[in-house]
Amino acid sequence: MDVFQVTFVNENKTISVKEETTVLEAMRMAGLSADAPCGGMGTCGKCQVKVDGALCLSCQERIEEDITVETLQREKSHRILVSGTKREVPFLPFLSVKNVQIEACRIGESTSDWDRLCLALGGTAKDYEPNLSVLESIARILREHQGKARIVLRGDRILDVRPQGAAPVRMAAFDIGTTTVAGYLLDGESGKELASASSLNPQTEYGADVIMRADYCLKHGSEALADCIRKQLGKLLKELCRKDGCVPEDIFQISIVGNTCMHHLFLGISPDSLVHAPYNPSISCPLILPAKDYGLEIYPFGEILMLPVIAGFVGADTVGCLLAANLEEEEKMTLLIDIGTNGEIVLGNKNRRIACSTAAGPAFEGAKIACGMRGAEGAISHAHLENGKVKCQVIGGGRPAGICGSGLIDVLACLLEAGIVDESGRLEESCPLSEDGSVYLTQKDIREVQLAKAAIAAGIRLLVDKMGISMEEISQVYIAGAFGNYMDPKNACRIGLLPSELEDRIVPVGNAAGEGAKLALQNRDEFARARRLALHTEFLELAALPEFQDCFIDELEFPEQTDAIRQEKRKNGY
Amino acid sequence: MSKKEDVSNLIVKGKAKLITGAVQDALDEGCEPGELLDSMIEAMDVVGEKFKNNEIFVPEMLVAARAMKKGVEVLKPLLAEGGAGTAGKVIIGTVAGDLHDIGKNLVAMMIESAGFEVIDLGVDVSTEKFVDAVRENPDVKIVALSALLTTTMPAMKNTVDVLNKQDFRSNIKIMVGGAPITQEFADEIGADAYTTDAASAAQEAKILAA
Repeated sequence: MDVFQVTFVNENKTISVKEETTVLEAMRMAGLSADAPCGGMGTCGKCQVKVDGALCLSCQERIEEDITVETLQREKSHRILVSGTKREVPFLPFLSVKNVQIEACRIGESTSDWDRLCLALGGTAKDYEPNLSVLESIARILREHQGKARIVLRGDRILDVRPQGAAPVRMAAFDIGTTTVAGYLLDGESGKELASASSLNPQTEYGADVIMRADYCLKHGSEALADCIRKQLGKLLKELCRKDGCVPEDIFQISIVGNTCMHHLFLGISPDSLVHAPYNPSISCPLILPAKDYGLEIYPFGEILMLPVIAGFVGADTVGCLLAANLEEEEKMTLLIDIGTNGEIVLGNKNRRIACSTAAGPAFEGAKIACGMRGAEGAISHAHLENGKVKCQVIGGGRPAGICGSGLIDVLACLLEAGIVDESGRLEESCPLSEDGSVYLTQKDIREVQLAKAAIAAGIRLLVDKMGISMEEISQVYIAGAFGNYMDPKNACRIGLLPSELEDRIVPVGNAAGEGAKLALQNRDEFARARRLALHTEFLELAALPEFQDCFIDELEFPEQTDAIRQEKRKNGY
Repeated sequence: MSKKEDVSNLIVKGKAKLITGAVQDALDEGCEPGELLDSMIEAMDVVGEKFKNNEIFVPEMLVAARAMKKGVEVLKPLLAEGGAGTAGKVIIGTVAGDLHDIGKNLVAMMIESAGFEVIDLGVDVSTEKFVDAVRENPDVKIVALSALLTTTMPAMKNTVDVLNKQDFRSNIKIMVGGAPITQEFADEIGADAYTTDAASAAQEAKILAA
């Protein structure tokens, strides 16, 4: 078996590989993150590299001699949204931290160290489950620290006993998205957010979407994907701790939200039921689990709070959003949309909530678009009309390298206004978006956007029908996810992604799912509320509705610019 | 007759709301239902051809097929026994474990537009249901299977396996399709044909049924 050298020019790394290894595999072996949205099938074209100067697909190129590889560093810094709108809650975590004075045992008495610990906490031994691992600590604290102890409890379980001031108490919250993972470090004694960190989800190596990852698991078992995400959370934990100056062992609790597939894969549960009709979850209730059983090296007896999921494609991340938006107490009729890799929509308020999942597809993430890319440096993210021509704004301000979701919406709105695209979606002339013509929009791209936006628009209409209200009765539209902060509401309505009746009430709420994960840590009642929200939110399976197809086809078209709308816009100075 | 042309144009443009009126107008003007159907089928052929040549894409196919379906509904009661469905019977369905049907519905509409009688078993169709459907329709020429998720491809394999073992196998042709399906997979499981899109499916059906 011959062995060859692969030199990665930009990264200054050389590795040896066996013949027949693909360049993509070699990149992974060298520790380079390699993007393969189609899972290495050779169909998406996004894994291009230069081998000895010639462009090729790294997933298809097999190594048969010593080569040099030049990675095309298009996506250097990603625009990942980490912050969300905050809801203040009283700090009442599951975890409580108490500073106490443990009395020494007096001559003539024989009360145990454990008993006196319980007394110091204001109770008796009957009130707390014995935890033998802390006994040595108690003795040392009595000996060396005058009995001044800091106790970490969860309810009636004493988790940790340490000298006061010895080490900080921390908690961490994670939002595991299909494409990106965001983490937050909180102070365990006040609930304050101390640091945040994020990264791409490395599971993309096994496929860009949940179906491809599920397929991998069904064929090869769930261990690889579980390990993959757990290791990534470990990395993020280290980064969060570095930013704060603490260590992972100071973290006593972690909460996790994610879509149902991410939830199952993290827990190592086979995604079998998720990808076979009727697409139900294996387990949906909230869970409290020992962190060490899931590869997370925090406090040895630390725990993970998994928020509940609603359905196979409406997960704990949506529940996190409902929590952050406080839909259990909200009077106003609210539409909550998470336009991520999948598109979850919830309509309702404190009286009733209905959720659905629309397979919007990856067009808004840059996939399937000729010059599409994720929201990173070089992406056209906004556009407007100037003298009938489309003027683009690029992330990072340099030359455009491609177009991302928010840019697509803006450009399409401009093209509709300028009459270059008609309402059936027909592109009348070629559409270059960069001066050198290297970034452009094709007819096929517009069709892809039509398919994506029709799915979401149809989902919204069918939820409104099921709720038995009219569109105008919706008081507020919350757009969650990174996309929401960058999407222009006016243009989203112009292309028919969102109903024009709601144009004046669209509010981006950022990473609401992450906010929900934090709330669950900050207040134990919020964790209980998450359970209720999940239990009492109905799920509408669009695929089972006979009217879905017609509604979907209706929404493919772009809204007409009627005279009435034009006059109204002129009045308002558009 | 210009009313006939109007109908054809509305199909190509996908104007489902206007087509029933236009079909009625054409009939009122004296157009023979059979003739009208033929020109509508021709219009769909043009749509299918454009789709294959990437001149138009899925959204336009969907709206055109929907308009065709609505137009044909007006004609159905007027057509003589051998009018529609003379090309033969086709059974179609999405395999077990899969609820996706828009693609399958598009194929069904295109095959119907090509002159077949289509029995649509719907979605999440078990192997048994496919077998039963063939037994209930002994004159069926083609069984068409659709799967949209890679995770439901095993169900397609299973259905074809069972169909291949039946005594009626030599009387039918099996066609497969769907986003994750490939020619390789079709060959592997023993299907007779694989097509990449609805237009090709309709054309292939005509060849298989001949």
